[in-house]
Amino acid sequence: MNPHAKLICTLSLITGSTITISSNHWVMAWTGLEINTLAIIPLISKSHHPRAVEASIKYFLVQAAASALLLFSSMSNAWTTGQWDITQLTNPTSCLLLTAAIAIKLGLAPFHFWFPEVLQGTSLTTALLLSTVMKFPPMTILFMTSSSLNPTMLTTLALISATLGGWMGLNQTQTRKILAFSSISHMGWMAVIIIYDPKLSILTFYLYVLMTAAVFLSLNTTKTLKLSTMMTSWTKTPVLNATLMLALLSLAGLPPLTGFMPKWLILQELTKQEMTVTAVIISMLSLLGLFFYLRLAYYATITLPPNSANHMKQWHINKHTNPMTAILTSLSTTLLPLSPMMLTSI
Amino acid sequence: MLKIIIPTIMLLPTALLSPKNLIWTNTTTHSLLIAAISLQWLHPTYFPHKNLSQWAGVDQISAPLLVLSCWLLPLMLMASQNHLQQEPMVRKRIFITTLITIQPFIILAFSATEVILFYISFEATLIPTLILITRWGNQPERLSAGIYLLFYTLISSLPLLVTLLHLHTQTGTLHLPTLELMHPSLTLSWTGTLSGLALLMTFMVKAPLYGLHLWLPKAHVEAPIAGSMLLAALLLKLGGYGIMRVTMLMGPLTSYLCFPFMTLALWGALMTSSICLRQTDLKSLIAYSSVSHMGLVIAASMIQTDWSFSGAMILMISHGLTSSMLFCLANTNYERTHSRILLLTRGLQPLLPLMSTWWLLANLTNMALPPTTNLMAELTIMTALFNWSMPTIILTGLATLLTASYTLFMLLMTQRGTSPSYITSIPNSNTREHLLMTLHILPMLLLMLKPELISGTI
Amino acid sequence: MVNFIQAVRDHWVHILVPLGFVIGCYLDRMNDEKLSAFRNKSLLYRRELKPGEETTWK
Repeated sequence: MNPHAKLICTLSLITGSTITISSNHWVMAWTGLEINTLAIIPLISKSHHPRAVEASIKYFLVQAAASALLLFSSMSNAWTTGQWDITQLTNPTSCLLLTAAIAIKLGLAPFHFWFPEVLQGTSLTTALLLSTVMKFPPMTILFMTSSSLNPTMLTTLALISATLGGWMGLNQTQTRKILAFSSISHMGWMAVIIIYDPKLSILTFYLYVLMTAAVFLSLNTTKTLKLSTMMTSWTKTPVLNATLMLALLSLAGLPPLTGFMPKWLILQELTKQEMTVTAVIISMLSLLGLFFYLRLAYYATITLPPNSANHMKQWHINKHTNPMTAILTSLSTTLLPLSPMMLTSI
Repeated sequence: MLKIIIPTIMLLPTALLSPKNLIWTNTTTHSLLIAAISLQWLHPTYFPHKNLSQWAGVDQISAPLLVLSCWLLPLMLMASQNHLQQEPMVRKRIFITTLITIQPFIILAFSATEVILFYISFEATLIPTLILITRWGNQPERLSAGIYLLFYTLISSLPLLVTLLHLHTQTGTLHLPTLELMHPSLTLSWTGTLSGLALLMTFMVKAPLYGLHLWLPKAHVEAPIAGSMLLAALLLKLGGYGIMRVTMLMGPLTSYLCFPFMTLALWGALMTSSICLRQTDLKSLIAYSSVSHMGLVIAASMIQTDWSFSGAMILMISHGLTSSMLFCLANTNYERTHSRILLLTRGLQPLLPLMSTWWLLANLTNMALPPTTNLMAELTIMTALFNWSMPTIILTGLATLLTASYTLFMLLMTQRGTSPSYITSIPNSNTREHLLMTLHILPMLLLMLKPELISGTI
Repeated sequence: MVNFIQAVRDHWVHILVPLGFVIGCYLDRMNDEKLSAFRNKSLLYRRELKPGEETTWK
């Protein structure tokens, strides 16, 4: 890709996100979202592969529909209440429409169908962008409107997301699709808590970004797109594969890794809100996700010899591993002891 | 507390930085030193807790288990030397590191006074154990064994986490000494019953209770020797320890909830002993014998009398040492014959005469011959159960009988008879193995002289 | 002299675990002092050391 075009895309991506995050007016928030969408489309389709172009078209259509829905909800809110303030979303119909629009943008089930398809069509780095940076503006809108949303609906959406994210990831062999479904189920965890403790939801999002970035970047180093490549990638970067396993288990939320912290805090908040049943259900649903993370972990490093494997050995690559990967991986495995500090700071 | 935990953590750099030829010596020596320091926990005090800090403390129940876990680390290191001999240096270091990583978590789990800290360290032992079993096991079935281990534990323990958080919202604290002083918050309502079930279920799976035990024989059979020792000697004890801690919190609920668990535990002791009698796989036999012994521990800790608790404590410690020794003995046979099948590895006494002495001693302690602590434990538990309900004597008596018979069966199958013609030349047993067995049997023999060290509150 | 340096290079790892022990002892003592200082703020539970007694909690 032309460096100038790349620069422009990246800059508009940052600008769009910043506009949405910092805006107080619905039209500005919508503008930021649109700038974001338009800026990511060249990045998705940069390989000019038919799948990439298809992914960018799908992405564009879905995002345009969601943005239109968002604009419609904010306008109908302005029509009935007479103001455009994001935090003052009081009309119940607009709340429902907004929830749907944000669910489409975030890929919350049952509006999640576009997400794995688009991720499958792009490169690993763009997929990382799509599942982290592109979800941040909708998350902030959800954060700002959280006081006026419908709890039952969001809890239902969250539970469906956690179920489908875990369940549909079970039969995937493509790493990007697996990570897409993992993202969907994590979105469920964020949505279940957004009304009761919005800050915790944002913390969950940050930690999810940290862990998923570690996984995506590790996979990108070995160019692992499917499970069979992963099986043979241990010869390329053995240490990275071992830490990848830890990052994956952290994503699954096993203690004592970082991923346990958001789950723990969310379960605590849910039990405090007398939603014990929801807490039990969503924690059980996370086990579905654990199954495919565990399979990825098995492929990454656990099934190394002593068993002799009958595959062609790949060469150890001398390519420099991104230091960012090391930092992200160590953060995504060791942050749990710091949870008291993080709790007081959010 | 920290004066044991920090040196244990410092074992990690020791393992990673030791020179090539000294790696086993260094780690084993230093872990033995730590084990020696940890003996001070056995020293009795007037206060209920020793070394009490805000998050950890040692009392009469946790002290023997803590010392046992410190003691087992050098033994595990010693036992794994042979099967790692062919591995490159880096993998040896990683193996030792994995083994050492479990140790601080186990120590934390046994000593934590904050229940959430206990939960986190209880769960944290899972990942290293999983790596130990699935990365270092031998057969391809180890992968499914790892999945069984992980999912059995997690499915049962996530409700525990939610229940603990629920308790925290209700009572405002999860500090064990404080909770013991408070009025029990679980009532006989549906919520209370379900919470009680959730509290118990994790430890019932970990202990394991008959019916929830299917992960254990799989994990034992597939794990390398250090993994088997770890599972048998320490992780199962986490289950028993958890039951003892949790039943104290449950107040009046236990006397209603205990019936299904008692039934399964006692019936399971009988069943698993019978399974042992028709077992063909040596490691699986020892694993099922663990299930049967832990059934007695579960039954004893469910009825919550002083005698039953001290019986359960003594049985946990002596079974920890005995089963770990039996796994080591099975492993010495496995390393020589490369088979765990009882039919193929029989009649080893003429070939390894000194080893059969260790077999004899280990089996005698396993079948609870007087004057071993195992006998003391079984007698105490049987008396306590008899006091609780007369008919239990039928089940416990039969279980003891079956224990004796399958232990004899194991001893006779492996040691006696003519040695098979296809075992022509096997290496002699070496000093490392004898030392390993000595370090297992010595604490058992010494504890006969002063069993009140491990008898819990009495 | 060379032998000594070589020995140090080979065996310096032996210092790690004792070092950990010393650090652990120090931290344990700090914690004990902190907790007894906290306790001594209470009028009900404060206690002076008897002659010949090192700590009040053993």
